[in-house]
Amino acid sequence: MNHKELISAISLKMNAPKSVVADLLEKTVATCTELLVEEKIIGFQSFGNFEVRKKEERLSVHPATQIRTLIPPKLVVNFKQSNILKDKLKDLITNE
Amino acid sequence: MNKDKISSQEIIDLVASKAKVSKRVAEEFLKAMISTIEEAMIDGEVVKVKGFGTFKLQWNEPRKSVNVQTGEEIILPGYHKVNFIPDSVLKELVNEPFEHLFPVELDGEIEEPNYEGGEVPLDPLRIFEEQASEIKDLLFEIQALSSITKKQTKEEEIIQEEIIKPEQEAENQLEIIDEVEDVVESPEISELTNEENEPKPEDNHDIVPELNAIEPVEIDVESKSEELELEIAPNSDETEPKNRKFLIRILIAFVVLIGIGCGLYFVYPPAKDFADSTYENTKMSVLRTSEKISITDMVNTISGWFSPESKTSEIPHIVVIPKDTTAIDSLSTNVAVDSLQALFDNPRVYTEFIATEKFKDGGRLTKFAKRYYGNKEFWVYIYEANKDKILNPDIITVGTIIKIPKVNPLLINVSNPRCIQKAKELNDIYVK
Repeated sequence: MNHKELISAISLKMNAPKSVVADLLEKTVATCTELLVEEKIIGFQSFGNFEVRKKEERLSVHPATQIRTLIPPKLVVNFKQSNILKDKLKDLITNE
Repeated sequence: MNKDKISSQEIIDLVASKAKVSKRVAEEFLKAMISTIEEAMIDGEVVKVKGFGTFKLQWNEPRKSVNVQTGEEIILPGYHKVNFIPDSVLKELVNEPFEHLFPVELDGEIEEPNYEGGEVPLDPLRIFEEQASEIKDLLFEIQALSSITKKQTKEEEIIQEEIIKPEQEAENQLEIIDEVEDVVESPEISELTNEENEPKPEDNHDIVPELNAIEPVEIDVESKSEELELEIAPNSDETEPKNRKFLIRILIAFVVLIGIGCGLYFVYPPAKDFADSTYENTKMSVLRTSEKISITDMVNTISGWFSPESKTSEIPHIVVIPKDTTAIDSLSTNVAVDSLQALFDNPRVYTEFIATEKFKDGGRLTKFAKRYYGNKEFWVYIYEANKDKILNPDIITVGTIIKIPKVNPLLINVSNPRCIQKAKELNDIYVK
């Protein structure tokens, strides 16, 4: 499901025109991005938390060439699902 | 690190104010969004939100574990996990504080596997290395060419003879000397041997630049540092290809002699009379050997050498101006590439500034470069313009006023890999 399909699915659900939904979605994404840049945790109840985690610098060794590389620290966005969502997913029949 | 948690309600408020809709609509929308994503995921779909990231389900296999208290084996059931992969836009925005950091290769106890060529033919690193060396060789060639092109474009007055092309030079020199001996037997020949002669190198397209006027000038005889001024002036007459080579040789020889004579003429008063006679001899000999050169041409070219000569005879320099109709096409491409090289080689002078920035805590020159020039690699130019204020580009005092210079747009062409390469080279020089 890509961006467009998501918008049409939401608009169907809300009974709202697609343009409004697209605008709202864009604003939501912008808001979330801003908050994440400020390194805040965003909690969507029943869905999960978005948070920024810092990956520390580390030394990696290329397995074939044995070249050691210092990987600098970085900030990444992490998503942790809430327990409510986890329970919902538990009911999912596993086919794998 | 600020770890404030923003709840759903706060998000709703923020979105509502931003989109200028009522909170009720925003809440409804967020709920619809989340439930839509959830449902799509449960259907096994991958949900992609532009500018944010991708949600997908990941199945974690059941695994064995041990009950810590009783020690008996238990099986943890498998479960689904929502996997969120942030969009590259979000990734970069979030990682902005560490944006300037790059992975650093640490050398040291790296043992390069010493295998012979045939043993590991498909090792990608090896192939890459070979390619790299090839590219390096090419670059050297370009640089060698460009250094000469630079001289002709910039017409710099003083260029010490620094570029050494031993083999070519020696060969050409010998050739010239031979020719000289063939045509006219002159006592000045012996003086050629010590002089550095720098002809234009032949490029790959087998183009022999038509040299029709070479003017060597002997500058300082007494101090024994004999230097040669070589000037190749434009050629105007078109000759038959058969005769051309012959003519070129004659002309080279002729011009070398004239140059020496002329040098002596100006610098060495006792030789004045002798030089005059040599000049006459050469002229006569050339007239004898090739009747195709008209006297008017001769006079024109000779007067051409003499007029600039009198001004610049004190300064040792080489001006190579090839003007060959066949060479123009291939040369023009070289010039296009090499004018950039000339830009790189020239010291940059910063007189115009487009902005000033106050250095803030956590600030970086790379950030300024990214903002003003479009690529963080170009920070080196900001550093160059602010060298008087910045002692170490890694340590900049907070509050320093940094001027953002106006840089030649050719130099900071983001889409040109050579510009970035050059910036990286400078980067390596400044950061040690």
